[in-house]
Amino acid sequence: MREDTPQEELNYVGKGTERVDTTEKLTGKAKYTGDLRMPGMLHAAVKRSPHARAKINNIDTSDAEAIPGVHAVVTGKEFDYKLGLYLVDKDVLARERVRHHGEAVAAVAAESPGLAEQAVKKIDVDYEVEEPVLDALEAIEDDDKLVHPELDDYDYFEPAFSPQPGTNVANHTKIRKGDVEQGFEEADHVIEREYTNPNVQHVPMETHVAVASWKEQDELDVHTSCQSPFTVRNLLCVAFDLPHTNVHVEVPYVGGGFGGKAGIGVEPLAACLSKKANGRPVKLEASREEEFSLLPCRSGLTYRIKSGVTEDGDLVAQKMTMFWDSGAYADYAVNVTRASAYSASGPYEIPNAHVDAYTIYTNKPYGTAYRGFGHVEFSWGLERHMDLLAETIDMDPLEFRKQNALKPGSITITGEKIVENTGNVTKCMEVAAEAINYGELTPEEKKRQEETGMKIAKSVSALHKAPAMPSFTATAAELRMNEDGSINADLSLTEYGQGTYTALTQIIAEELGFPPERINLSIKGDTDKAPYDWQTVASKGLLMSGNACIKAARDLLEKAYQDASEVLRADPCDLDHNENEIYIKHHPEESVTFSELAVGYAYPTGEGIGGPIIGVGRYMAQGLTNLDKETGQGEPALDWTYGSHGVVVEVNEITGEFNILKVASAFDVGKAINPANIRGQVIGGLIQGLGTTICEGYAYDDEGHLLNPSFTDNKIPTSMDVPEEIEGIVIETPQIDGPYGARGVGEHPMIALCGAIGNAIYYAAGADLTHMPIRSEDVWWALHKDEDRDRPRYSIC
Amino acid sequence: MRTPFNYFAPETLSDAHELLEKHGERAEILAGGTDLLVDIRNDMKQPDAVIDIKNIEELNGVEFDSDDGLIINAAATCTEVSSHTVVRDRYPFIVEATSELASHQVRNRATVVGNICNASPCADAARPLLCLDASVEISSLQNKRTLPLEEFITGVKQNDLAPGELVERVRVPVEMADARGANRKLKRIKGHDLSLASVTMVKTDAETRVSIGACGPTPVVLTGFDASTDVDELCSAAEEAISPIDDVRSTAEYRNFMIKQYIRELDEELS
Repeated sequence: MREDTPQEELNYVGKGTERVDTTEKLTGKAKYTGDLRMPGMLHAAVKRSPHARAKINNIDTSDAEAIPGVHAVVTGKEFDYKLGLYLVDKDVLARERVRHHGEAVAAVAAESPGLAEQAVKKIDVDYEVEEPVLDALEAIEDDDKLVHPELDDYDYFEPAFSPQPGTNVANHTKIRKGDVEQGFEEADHVIEREYTNPNVQHVPMETHVAVASWKEQDELDVHTSCQSPFTVRNLLCVAFDLPHTNVHVEVPYVGGGFGGKAGIGVEPLAACLSKKANGRPVKLEASREEEFSLLPCRSGLTYRIKSGVTEDGDLVAQKMTMFWDSGAYADYAVNVTRASAYSASGPYEIPNAHVDAYTIYTNKPYGTAYRGFGHVEFSWGLERHMDLLAETIDMDPLEFRKQNALKPGSITITGEKIVENTGNVTKCMEVAAEAINYGELTPEEKKRQEETGMKIAKSVSALHKAPAMPSFTATAAELRMNEDGSINADLSLTEYGQGTYTALTQIIAEELGFPPERINLSIKGDTDKAPYDWQTVASKGLLMSGNACIKAARDLLEKAYQDASEVLRADPCDLDHNENEIYIKHHPEESVTFSELAVGYAYPTGEGIGGPIIGVGRYMAQGLTNLDKETGQGEPALDWTYGSHGVVVEVNEITGEFNILKVASAFDVGKAINPANIRGQVIGGLIQGLGTTICEGYAYDDEGHLLNPSFTDNKIPTSMDVPEEIEGIVIETPQIDGPYGARGVGEHPMIALCGAIGNAIYYAAGADLTHMPIRSEDVWWALHKDEDRDRPRYSIC
Repeated sequence: MRTPFNYFAPETLSDAHELLEKHGERAEILAGGTDLLVDIRNDMKQPDAVIDIKNIEELNGVEFDSDDGLIINAAATCTEVSSHTVVRDRYPFIVEATSELASHQVRNRATVVGNICNASPCADAARPLLCLDASVEISSLQNKRTLPLEEFITGVKQNDLAPGELVERVRVPVEMADARGANRKLKRIKGHDLSLASVTMVKTDAETRVSIGACGPTPVVLTGFDASTDVDELCSAAEEAISPIDDVRSTAEYRNFMIKQYIRELDEELS
């Protein structure tokens, strides 16, 4: 869909147009699901498990039901089905057993939130507590203590996933390229190390919330804060065995998702409560604490990398083993596992590669999609490992990366051939390095070192990511012309903060030649009114929906031209248009306005032709295939967005305290549809990546209780933690099938920042870290490693 | 709000005393509420009566005179204290400590006296006041008494208040005005965080005092060291006085290390 139009001929694409939702959000006019009040609406509260693993002997709800104002109490016994997108493994409410601390075991709908909470307290659950499975590396070996003994009975998406019944392995993805053992023999050095990441919470500003009304004739209305209205509708229909015409999902403004709202969340429970409360609307709104353990988090990862390098700096073989700790349910984690497996080597060419990626059940809160979809986690280990390899052969780590970078002609580990238009990761590294004066300290930095006594060091990392989605992912857009020639547009990509709607408005405006103000892209999602989209995830929205919008705009113009050609008695090939009218190219004074055509043209005599002008565009991801289950070979990637971070840090060698002075990040976005928007994504993504790097993560005790389920002890970065300087740099190697050459960059800014910071801290102070996050205490412990002290017991792990 | 309670907002001290007397152990005092309401929400406290003291005029404000010293009344917020001219001029390290307490929004609401009554081991306002030899003025319907702050905080989230009593104010003796002092606070992020380990050091020409937070059941204060005391001796005394633990926030070893590190830094800064 790329147009080789020089920028000077583009009117709207490439400009830093103001976000379409600015005023509504700044004035508070924007309404979110939590703002909804409906007549007769009830409020829900959830009874959560205090245990990580237990049998449920009995649940006594009689005292709760007896409270006046309580209209529904439900337990797992009432639901004989499970929910899932890729692996159908999760109950609406725990049945027979609980599998993680915080799991929902019962729920109440009552006339006020306080009453609902009181009723929940009156529910008495008789548990038989069992020893939980908490360590993924032990769980993979332990076939006796299974989290899901029934795994064999579960439905799953067979072309992509391989559950291993009789074990705790929910999925095993394999990638095989070349001969890895042969490669190790050719290497001068073989280096193996293991890197770990904890569970992390998404922390959207708006917690999960849904209002459901189960009406007469089994019509189900759901308003929800979600990323993917059609996925929610489909899963509700499958679970409740309802026709798709009966279920209606609306998505108002959404206050952030970051992957945590990619699939289905609180909607089914709200729906069940409404059904039991005779159709009264029920609002289920998660508290912040519930976000941490009732709702999903990011899976933990242990990443073992064994690499063979030559003295000349060639990476000749790499064996990569990923142990994904998905927690109690693996529905979405299996796809994180798959996506990270086919990307596991990062943006580097490995002639002999071998990946085993496992999704492992444990008795912890369960994992789901999280911005970066596995790449943040594995990039931590991979980027630390790249520097370890470079150090082993005494080579500059940036040169080592550039030498092994994917470039035109390279073959990825799944057998995909990289071409010129795939993008340029080497250039990304070069500009990021230049922006931080890589390889030297500036006079100011030297002076700062002397003044502070801290040590300054620099590092450059690289990254890649492609959308993780089914090979046949599709979307559509619909444009309708109004009487005044303006456009109402609908699609089902959810705008939850990423700014895509502004970019899509620019694309539609550019295609139509209309100013963006005349395009009204409805932000509210509505499965009854707007055309289908699979999901709003994976950094695929701009490319997929952008192309659908281009096609819809062209379709709309074609119809307008058709009608105009009749009115003007001219072949459409002789017509052209400006903002307001279609005219004959060689007789521009003969014209008809869009306003006259919009809903049907009327001749002076009163006779009409044409009709409402509607443009429809749909787009299907092109050329993707399933991966072979034994070799992992195939075409998984819609597009690869490359990037690089250059970081400057200073470290106090005595205390382990450190500051991030500068982050300069470059991304090959193909074409910057809206540079201001990209800057927003880069800054936001970097700060989220910084959270992962410097402070975030779940801590458990030996019984699997989550010890830090709130902001008191689960810290996220604040404005005070932002690096002193952030520079975002755009590289534009056009994507041939991207709208105006663009590709997505929503997730990428947070990938591989962790590795860059870890490496810079190592160079500054010698603290050799392999576990995230990196707090000053972790640096201090790493510096005192020789003294053979055990790490603290309740650390983030 | 989890459990319903009755809310009272008396306008006189005697009305407050009567309400406290009436509800006894089932009463909680509300000033800023930034700890109390969180505890109620988390079911840590289930009072019958919440008695708001903000409407009692004599419990508001910050005062200073050359005889009585600095008086921080029970309803004075952290922001009021840290923006008070005399506090800024003569006790700048109180400003520093109370400005590091929680977030901007919380400081606009939270009170210094509440921070002390909450008696957390990591109470940021307690450290400078302990160094300053502050005393706590307590009253009830029948009684008035004054207690050194050191004796007022008795354990983790435990204070010396009996049912029926409230703290009217904290008093800092005038002798310590213009002392040199500074703080260090170990946090997990640069933004607002609870202290993982913290130190206040105050020096006069005669004396060095050190208080330490988050390293034992209560904040501790080290006194009786003359101004020329060697920093190693201060560090040894500190190590002796504290009993840090491993928890989800930090480890005993790092806390121990950082306390000594901070004492060295502060000693150098203030000498």
